[in-house]
Amino acid sequence: MIKRLIIDTAYFLQTSKNYQAKKRFFYNLLENNNYRYKRYIDILMITLIFISVSVLIREVKYHVNDYLLFFSNYVISIIFFIEYIFRLWVSSSISEVIVNRNEHDSFLWRKTNLFKAFTIVFKLKFKYILSVRAMIDLLAILPFFHELRLLRIFILFRVFKLFRYTKSFQTLAGVLATKKFEFITLMMFSSIVIFVSSVLIYVMEANNSNSPINTFFEAIYWSIVTISTVGYGDVTPITNEGRVVAMLVIIAGIAVLAFTTSLVVSAFTERLDEIKEVKTIENVSKLKNFYLVCGYENVAKEVVKKLLKNKSKIIVLDDDISRVANAKADGLTALHYNPGSVQSYSKLHINIETQVKAVLCLREDDVSNVYTALTIRSINRDVFILSLLMNDSNRKKLEFAGINNLVYPQKIVGLMTKEFVGKPVAFEVIHQLRSEYSNISIDEIAVTDTIVENFVTVGDLGNKEFRVIVLGIYKKENDSFLFNPIDSILLENGDYIIAIGYSIFIKEFEQHLKTRLSNA
Amino acid sequence: MHDKTALIFGFNKYAFEIAEHVKSSYKNVILYSQNKEDMNDKEYSFKSFDLSDDWSSIEKDIDTENFIAFCTIEDDAQNIFLTISLRAYFKDLMIIAIASNQENANKLSMAGANKVIPIVETTADIIANILELPVSNKVIHDILFEESSLKIAQIKISENCSIKGEEILSLDLSRYEGIIILSLMHEDMSSEFIYSSKLKDHVLTTGDTLVVVGYENDIEEFKKLIGSES
Repeated sequence: MIKRLIIDTAYFLQTSKNYQAKKRFFYNLLENNNYRYKRYIDILMITLIFISVSVLIREVKYHVNDYLLFFSNYVISIIFFIEYIFRLWVSSSISEVIVNRNEHDSFLWRKTNLFKAFTIVFKLKFKYILSVRAMIDLLAILPFFHELRLLRIFILFRVFKLFRYTKSFQTLAGVLATKKFEFITLMMFSSIVIFVSSVLIYVMEANNSNSPINTFFEAIYWSIVTISTVGYGDVTPITNEGRVVAMLVIIAGIAVLAFTTSLVVSAFTERLDEIKEVKTIENVSKLKNFYLVCGYENVAKEVVKKLLKNKSKIIVLDDDISRVANAKADGLTALHYNPGSVQSYSKLHINIETQVKAVLCLREDDVSNVYTALTIRSINRDVFILSLLMNDSNRKKLEFAGINNLVYPQKIVGLMTKEFVGKPVAFEVIHQLRSEYSNISIDEIAVTDTIVENFVTVGDLGNKEFRVIVLGIYKKENDSFLFNPIDSILLENGDYIIAIGYSIFIKEFEQHLKTRLSNA
Repeated sequence: MHDKTALIFGFNKYAFEIAEHVKSSYKNVILYSQNKEDMNDKEYSFKSFDLSDDWSSIEKDIDTENFIAFCTIEDDAQNIFLTISLRAYFKDLMIIAIASNQENANKLSMAGANKVIPIVETTADIIANILELPVSNKVIHDILFEESSLKIAQIKISENCSIKGEEILSLDLSRYEGIIILSLMHEDMSSEFIYSSKLKDHVLTTGDTLVVVGYENDIEEFKKLIGSES
């Protein structure tokens, strides 16, 4: 009966969307570094830790406000306890184990062995409890029983909890862990030197009544102070034999110090790129509305330059390390990932739908571009994809891959020469408008609600005062372009004004359109 | 007198695209290839050439008035060499060259090309415009490549033009509905944007050219109204 109830509950929990979503939420909040709100929990916890440590320090010599003491000892402990329970909860799933067990057993026509299931659950949870992090968490709760004076010092375990909330500590520990073997060797070496020199100095000095070294503890203390090159000088050998030992320890000390420094430095330099990359990925996952440039070659380089002028955000992906290095040298956020692999995007935590403005496949190679485009399309159907087309015979394939806009350089050159041959003036004019070298430019101004409120018709715009030509209005309603519109045309939200003029005047004109309300 | 002829140097996709697009305005299109095997193509007439060629042999066949040369060799160094050698022999020949990037474009201009198209920059320009200015890009594309009846035209102010002697900014455009004057080109081909301060008190004289945008009919109408020839 009870067994049935337990299994049913497990199934219920395992299938309940509500329960799973809540569990997921708490998991993200506590353990998922990429979760947006985890940071707030971290900051809260760090604050609590600092409050309790401050109270501990203050308490040593002064009286601390009773409420604060109560807060530190009970409230914070309870908050930490709740956190501990939540962490224990999300560390593994009991219901999952029971359901799996039940399915396993029923598949083999056996009775469900709940005992086995609970053993597994117990093992899982116990493994978590015994982990270093969980131990620290548990010890940090202990100051709750602060009446036991000894336990008060456990507040310091709260400081260790800081490791959990600040990522740089974790990175540091991770980096140093890569040199575990070297550090152990170093430890062995220095312990032997310390031990031998302590014994030597003790033998040499302990019987000399003038020597400050009288106990073996003092000998060890002297050795450590000397080998670390700290050398307080409060305990010094006075016999010649003792000084010889000191010289040896000092020389060994230099070696130990040099070795330690080089170990830490090399551990960092080896992993520096990796650490930087992790940081970049983290930043990328928070970025919004950026252009994803896949492949960094000549055209990409120029496109990026122009986009950056308009203050667009750009992320470059390329599977060639030298091209990535080029992009980085140009000051871009570039990642050495294959743009044609779905995994890259999940590793980078890029959500194409919400984060990417447009994907630009700018490899000068149709095969790679098709591959990338298909990959992107397999993740998201709607994102705008623009691609270079290097060979016209591949046009169909690229279109089939779901690319929205194909740019074919040969065709552009052909059209340009035709235009140049036929109408050199028109060509020059347009070229000037497009080129960044001239100060005349063409721009689009989006018509917003505020603009519509103040400027009902085209005639009201007053563009002539700003020495700006309104070439036309793009009407969103029927997706058409009205060239040189007459003054009585109504402006609507979503329309675009295509303006030609000196860039500064266009900017002023745009400013004028947007701020007239406040001036009026 | 020769027929209008386009000489296209190089045997590649650029050369073909150019040939395709200029064949309507040039009666003869001749492709020059460095490789003799390429000459079996039937669509265009081919000639072979070598960079070390002495052009003096064909000097008399080339009429710089009606000829135009396109240098499209993909190797920039060779292209520059070709441009420079053509310029050395034909002082007045119109030479249009393509370059892989802006740096080589500058070199080609120095080598004597009248017009250089830097491929990478041009392509990048277009991509950036598609992304950042999608609407105006479409409009311009339509104007340039004639997918709409909206055109950019140049209108020369002739001797007996009705607007000759008027101040350019005081032109009452409501009389000529449907067109926009973009810029003015002086006789020496230097052009000024219509709202440039230099044109503030400019009086239209013979030889000035107005650059206007408008629908084909309106432009024709405008030309008739002011009595311009072309």
